[in-house]
Amino acid sequence: MSEPESMVFVVDDDPSVRRGLKRLIGCVGLQVELFGSGQEFLASEHPNVPSCLVLDIRLPGISGLNLQQQLAKTNVQIPIIFISAHGDVPMTVRAMKAGAVEFLTKPFRDQDLLDAIHLALEKDRDRRQQEAELAALRERFELLSPREREVVAMVVSGMLNKQIAAQIGTSENTVKAHRSRAMEKMRASSLADLVKLIQRIQAFPSKSR
Amino acid sequence: MISADSALSGSFDYGEVARSLLIAIAASYAALDLLGRATPARGRIRLAWLSGGAIAMGLGIWAMHFKGMMAFRLPLPVEYHWPTVLASLLVAILASAVALYIASRQKMGPVEVLTGSVILGSGLAGMHYIGMAAMRLPAITHFSPVRVACSILLAILFSAITLLLAFSLREETRWSGPRRLGSATVIGVAVSAIHYTGLAAASFTPASPPDLFHAVSISPLGNNGIVIATLTVLTAAIATSSVDRLRSEERLRLVIDTLPAMVWSKSPDGSADFLNQRFLEYTGLSVEEGLGWGWMREFHPEERAEEEWRAAFAAGEPFEREAKLRRADGVYRRFLLRAEPVRDKLGNISKWYGTSTDIEDLKRAEDELQQAQEDLARVTRVIVMGELAAAIAHEVNQPLTAIVTNGQFCLRRLEGGTSNPEELRTAITEIVNDGTRASAVISRIRDLLRKRTPNRTEIDINQIIRDVTVFLRTEFTRNRLLLRTELAADLSRVPGDPVLVQQVLINLVMNAIDAIRTSTEGRREIRIRSARNPEGVLVQVQDSGPGVEPELASHIFEPFFTTKAKGIGMGLSISHSIVESHGGRLWNTPSSIGALFEFTLPTGDAGVS
Repeated sequence: MSEPESMVFVVDDDPSVRRGLKRLIGCVGLQVELFGSGQEFLASEHPNVPSCLVLDIRLPGISGLNLQQQLAKTNVQIPIIFISAHGDVPMTVRAMKAGAVEFLTKPFRDQDLLDAIHLALEKDRDRRQQEAELAALRERFELLSPREREVVAMVVSGMLNKQIAAQIGTSENTVKAHRSRAMEKMRASSLADLVKLIQRIQAFPSKSR
Repeated sequence: MISADSALSGSFDYGEVARSLLIAIAASYAALDLLGRATPARGRIRLAWLSGGAIAMGLGIWAMHFKGMMAFRLPLPVEYHWPTVLASLLVAILASAVALYIASRQKMGPVEVLTGSVILGSGLAGMHYIGMAAMRLPAITHFSPVRVACSILLAILFSAITLLLAFSLREETRWSGPRRLGSATVIGVAVSAIHYTGLAAASFTPASPPDLFHAVSISPLGNNGIVIATLTVLTAAIATSSVDRLRSEERLRLVIDTLPAMVWSKSPDGSADFLNQRFLEYTGLSVEEGLGWGWMREFHPEERAEEEWRAAFAAGEPFEREAKLRRADGVYRRFLLRAEPVRDKLGNISKWYGTSTDIEDLKRAEDELQQAQEDLARVTRVIVMGELAAAIAHEVNQPLTAIVTNGQFCLRRLEGGTSNPEELRTAITEIVNDGTRASAVISRIRDLLRKRTPNRTEIDINQIIRDVTVFLRTEFTRNRLLLRTELAADLSRVPGDPVLVQQVLINLVMNAIDAIRTSTEGRREIRIRSARNPEGVLVQVQDSGPGVEPELASHIFEPFFTTKAKGIGMGLSISHSIVESHGGRLWNTPSSIGALFEFTLPTGDAGVS
């Protein structure tokens, strides 16, 4: 079975509501998967495609807000759209602060939900895109030798070749050679491009580290 | 032997005979009158009345006797040996004292009557013959033994009659005056009869002049003096007694009229024969209007139920009931009526005594308290509702969300022209089901909120438990509680108001939820059980919370007692009254796990399985 293009997960304890949501979301051509509780959702495997979570606040066991916290803690970055029968202001604020895409009060307009889902999927797609680019950059960065990384770090911090040579006790030409090899490995078209790429890696340090 | 011819023939002065009779009657009346005062009295007062009575009676009888002697005229001068005369007076007084003592006692049986009449009879006869022995005349007195015996027997017989009459007359009643007069006449005649029989037993033969030492002749003046003195003593005695009676009657009337209650007495059938001043003032009736069955008119028309009253009086048991009585200005106030029968020796009711106490203000306060409790009950419900408002919104919004979502799906399908009838049918079926579900939720909530008068039907306690658990489902999920229900299948239906019983269960379950909410460790579990019970059905609600502290256990059913920061302490109190109003019991059972509350609801035929 081929991987779907995107995925919408729905967690609600009311079976009628779940089935209705599946029909509605499904009719705009999206793949929907249903869960009766947060535990069920956590226990399931999720395909690695742009996806979002439509989450009821009041659930048996883990509440919607708790599920949001647990996902954040375990670094599952899935955009969440909250749906609630009785959303009050503090609850909404808490959900939105924790990064929810939208907070809809049941019953909601279909278009509002679908718009939110599309927005969320777009967000997730972007995030995945960026993560993919970043992963590629890191892969290239891994190719640099320790000396090249050292030189690149000093270049990014704005030191001149002469200063770098003095710092590491070598000639200016050797520094230049390291630099150009690093630019080659990082596929940077210019020195400015190299600086940008390295800064991006530094801004999003690898999760494994 | 002395021939009859030689006997002196005496003649009677009939005027004196009549006067002697009058004195006897007056003396008897005075004795009866004083007896009436002596009977209820105690101690020294009783002694005083008895001595006074004995002196008056003895003096009267003696005076009668003396007058009788005066009425008997012999053709000889007669003088009297005065020490003997005094002795006869003393005997009369002593005999009277014994008679009064016996007649004034609590009980008078045959033995008392016999002893009393023998003493009184022989006393009277003794006085007579001692009196005759005081005569000093130039003649010999002969006594016919048969006649003497007859006179003594007659005296005893009449004494018995006198005692019985006196005993039955001693109670002071409305008719005691005239009846006393009648009896006094009978007794007076009897006493005179004894005297004249005794006199007839004697005959006189002329002889030498007597020894006149200590003898006096009785002049007409002395004769009248005795009469006047005697009558004065008797009048004084009767007057004293009357004044005392009037004073004590006045005291009693003052007490009865100023008591803060209506006081009445009724004849055995219930018709009134006495109504106190307060009754008359309140109702504005005159004595004549109120007596008999007139008091019935003052009852509220809805409660008059004359038959019911007659039945209560006929039943002959002390009774009390509440009734509305009309005030003179037409306002009705509630009264507590209490009646107590008084029975005679045979056990028949001789009279009813009763009071009617104004309890309007008390009742009004009671009503207000009850109203306040009802209001509080409603407030509690509203508070419970407030806590449950979120749950309600959830309950109603879930089906609505499903309806709206499915509806929007259908519209999209139809607009897109890609509709598949089977798909639409499924969605629309769900819409219909969820619509029904939402309306069921709403009517349940409406039932719960509506203030209703108890609506008794046959209730299925398991259904109520299921309803409540559905209603509180979101409370369980929100507080991460496990609910276990163990419902017995063989329960009979019990009479009761489903909404009120639901309220009891909601209160108990909400308490259980609150108990666990605050506890952080252990199982989070609530168990609801239903079971058969000798009384009917038993329902248990048990939680895994910290339980009821033993020293608080005796207070938890009191109104306004609470351990919750936001509680008002009415839940258990109200639940308790609801269960009690159904004839059941609600209690807390000490338990090793959390708190255990149990209540029973009796089946219609309580106790019969």
